Amino acid sequence: MTNVHTLTFEIGTEEIPAFDLHKATLALPQITEQALDGARIPHGDIRVLTTPRRLIVMVDGVADTTEALDEVFRGPSVAIAFDADGNPTKAASGFARGKGVAVEDLERRVEGDVEYVFATRSLPASDVAELLPEVLGSIISAISWPKSCRWGRTHEYFSRPVRWLVALLDEQVIPVEFAGLVASNETRGHRFLAPGPHKVPTAADLPVVLESAYVLTSEQAREQAIRAGVAEAEQTWNAHAELPEKTLLEVTNLCEYPTVLVGTFDEEFLLVPEEIIVDAMLMHQRYFPLYDDNHKLTNHFILVSNGNPACAETIIDGNERVVRARLSDAKFFYEEDLKHALDTYVDRLDEVVFQESLGTMRKKTERVVRLAEHLAKDAGLDEVESADVARAAYLAKADLVTNAVVEFTSVQGIMGSYYATAAGETDQVAQAIADHYRPRFAGDDLPESIVGRIVATADKLDTICGLFAVGQGPTGSSDPFALRRSAIGIIAMLEAGLNVSLVDAVNASLDTYQASGVEFDRQAIYDQIIEFFVTRTKVILRDSGVSPDSVEAVLATGIVEPAVIIARARALEAARAQSAEVFDDLATAYARAHNLADTALGDTVDESLMDVDELALDKATNEAAVAVERALAVDDYDAALQALAALRTPIDTFFEDVLIMDKDEALRNNRLRLLNRFVAVFANVADFAKMTKTAK
Amino acid sequence: MTQEIEMGAVQADAQPPTFQDVIMNLQRYWADAGCVILQPYDNEVGAGTNAPATTLRSLGPDTWRTAYVQGCRRPTDGRYGENPNRTQFYYQFQVLMKPSPDNIQELYLGSLRAIGIDVDAHDVRFVEDDWESPTLGAWGLGWEVWIDGMEVTQFTYFQQVGGFECDPVPVEIAYGLERLTMYIQGVDSMFDIVWSRGKDGVVFTYGDVYLENERQYSKFNFEVADTNFLFQEFNDREAECMRTLEAGLPLPAYDSVLKCCHAFNLLDARGVISATERMAYILRVRTLAKACCASYMEHVVGLAPATDEGKEADND
Repeated sequence: MTNVHTLTFEIGTEEIPAFDLHKATLALPQITEQALDGARIPHGDIRVLTTPRRLIVMVDGVADTTEALDEVFRGPSVAIAFDADGNPTKAASGFARGKGVAVEDLERRVEGDVEYVFATRSLPASDVAELLPEVLGSIISAISWPKSCRWGRTHEYFSRPVRWLVALLDEQVIPVEFAGLVASNETRGHRFLAPGPHKVPTAADLPVVLESAYVLTSEQAREQAIRAGVAEAEQTWNAHAELPEKTLLEVTNLCEYPTVLVGTFDEEFLLVPEEIIVDAMLMHQRYFPLYDDNHKLTNHFILVSNGNPACAETIIDGNERVVRARLSDAKFFYEEDLKHALDTYVDRLDEVVFQESLGTMRKKTERVVRLAEHLAKDAGLDEVESADVARAAYLAKADLVTNAVVEFTSVQGIMGSYYATAAGETDQVAQAIADHYRPRFAGDDLPESIVGRIVATADKLDTICGLFAVGQGPTGSSDPFALRRSAIGIIAMLEAGLNVSLVDAVNASLDTYQASGVEFDRQAIYDQIIEFFVTRTKVILRDSGVSPDSVEAVLATGIVEPAVIIARARALEAARAQSAEVFDDLATAYARAHNLADTALGDTVDESLMDVDELALDKATNEAAVAVERALAVDDYDAALQALAALRTPIDTFFEDVLIMDKDEALRNNRLRLLNRFVAVFANVADFAKMTKTAK
Repeated sequence: MTQEIEMGAVQADAQPPTFQDVIMNLQRYWADAGCVILQPYDNEVGAGTNAPATTLRSLGPDTWRTAYVQGCRRPTDGRYGENPNRTQFYYQFQVLMKPSPDNIQELYLGSLRAIGIDVDAHDVRFVEDDWESPTLGAWGLGWEVWIDGMEVTQFTYFQQVGGFECDPVPVEIAYGLERLTMYIQGVDSMFDIVWSRGKDGVVFTYGDVYLENERQYSKFNFEVADTNFLFQEFNDREAECMRTLEAGLPLPAYDSVLKCCHAFNLLDARGVISATERMAYILRVRTLAKACCASYMEHVVGLAPATDEGKEADND
């Protein structure tokens, strides 16, 4: 009869980074399970508790001893295992070695009609307490950290230095060793409120001991405490807070004993654009801004303290001083920036590198203006809008050298928009400056106006073309300039109706790069960029559920404009879904015609040689050709597909009733020419040979 | 629950320590902890880390403990004395202990107590902030230390310097002296810091000591410094560094690296280094700095350059 015990293991550390801690918290249960199972230690549930200064695993129902294990393995037959003299062969010795037994210990036993050798391996029952030091030690080294360090004279690695270990099997200390430390039954409390050391009488008591030492031992408990504190503050101040998930997680893992406090700053700072205040508080200080009922920023903010709640006043006062200094800076920067019109900052963009081989942001601005002008013309914008496009493109990056953006980077674009308005630029220009970084990710809002969309497209396309030109296109998982995201953004804007040619825009951009002295293989780079966009388009279509063969059928006609590819692939997909039989049948017929077709014969047919079925197909083909041309001329892809669908009956009849490979060469060639005409009608619509049959 | 905790006595009527008290208390404290109290290095540096007592002596197996005040020059940060928080010259208090002691965090918190900060009555936090210096080929892991939300110290376990693994591992603690003193004295401008207070009540502020300095140096850095002279100096010092290294003298060679850095920083402030040229200059400095570390390993530590390790470092 074995007894069961509670096992508790605490790795005490210096402060582990918040996000790394979260990852380790998620990984620890499995790591522990594997370590215990690997040593065949019978155990119950595993619980993981973590704070910035400790990782704790607690295991229920840990047995005193592992179970003894007898394992029997069948080896080769005796005939193979022993030679004529009865000596063991290589086969026998190899088998014995593999199983860890001596050759002489192999047993013979008959199974069925054959006598085999058997190896029996016995693992004795082991004392779990004796196994544990190694098992627990292996848990420490099994945790993987994004970054880890050494310390002192040790050569072990961990996220941050490990300073103490607690390992208990009920009352028994398990002497785990790591980096010069030996585990004991003494833990540490909150760094300031109850540093300890504190004795842990028995394994199960560790959480209680820590709780009384001002440590909330689980991530969830701390998050709950913070959420409760925030709710209370919201009520008290009649305001509401936003808790961005990432910041909340960070704040949760920056404390052991959270107290939610509310600080206040001078109302005069509310004159500064809200975005800067929020950036300063959230990004830099991990404070949560408080908003009123109209979602307007108030001059109160939430801070989460790890200090002594009795000292709340001191702590609030200190944090308010930090906010005051930060917001004074922000206000000062903002007011300084406003002393100069936004366009005066454009020249200073010479100080900001865009990309080493492609020059500065000033140079980029010049290129983006040209490209945006090209796009405005292509899109047929009127004079006023075209002027706004040129102006917005010129000013788009100017705020990068303003004090406010240098200090608070997340407000780029937004500050430019404020400064543009202050400098008397049109609303449309100001809005476009704020919007031109959009869409920043798949599904993000597009810029509001056509002006914003054109500037956004020009900016993104300039980056894509330039980086491809200097060989810095994305490879595999590496896409440091987020070109894929930029391409997806451009495609989204094209799809939403930005009526411009991507091909022309790419050429315009590459022209500008060549004119500015960047050297590259024009055709190869052009091909790479177009291929890059086509691939992105394919991914977008695939992700939205369009079947790959519809996409391939459309692409086979040689079109490369993303918006056209998307519209046609969707239309084809819809048509195929609606009239599966027609299109499957047509695809089969097309494939057959395509195989027979001999382009060398040309497509001039002699109607006098035709019978009635041939004449029917000839007529249908001529009508379809005209209909397709007319439909494509007005971008009515659905009509083009309908025109093709009308060919189904005549082609089926033709294949059924007409002997194409007639002995008479004149008849035969005339029929092949007719098939050439038939195939040609499809050329600009879709390659039906790429379409597999839809499942019936 | 909280009533059981005894608050540190708050001395409401006591004067907060002056700037020089803060410095002297830190020196006394770290001297008691076994550090060699050095005087500031007599060459222009951008940070206390760049002084040879940290950069070069982080290398090698010997025990080393030092603490020193270091004046730091960052020409582009000059604001003609008009910004209360930013200047082209400021002081760091630098501690370096190799190997890092096991109780280093407690030692550090003790130093805050020594300069009048009752850490038990505040919210002191260690917030992840890893350090990397591409120009030194160096990196480490650590934190910025916050007191009630204000960053007052950088705390770093050096892992690599000059491309060489640090073994044993040194810990570096760098206090921003002005920021810390502003906090302790409760003033909002660094020029209002009380630097000294005589028994007769005569007070000198940071502004009395350094405001004119800020005005003059800001003008010099941004408007006056001779750029042709500085370009020439950079080239000359680069050559001198290499020549000194050929003679097997990494310590004086390293002085030339610091001169190159400062010339570069001044040229940067003068706005004559284009954004695209910057990288090339930084690479040149990095090459020199790493060569000095390699030479130090060879001639002072006595380890023949471990080429494999060096290669690995380059790949990082």
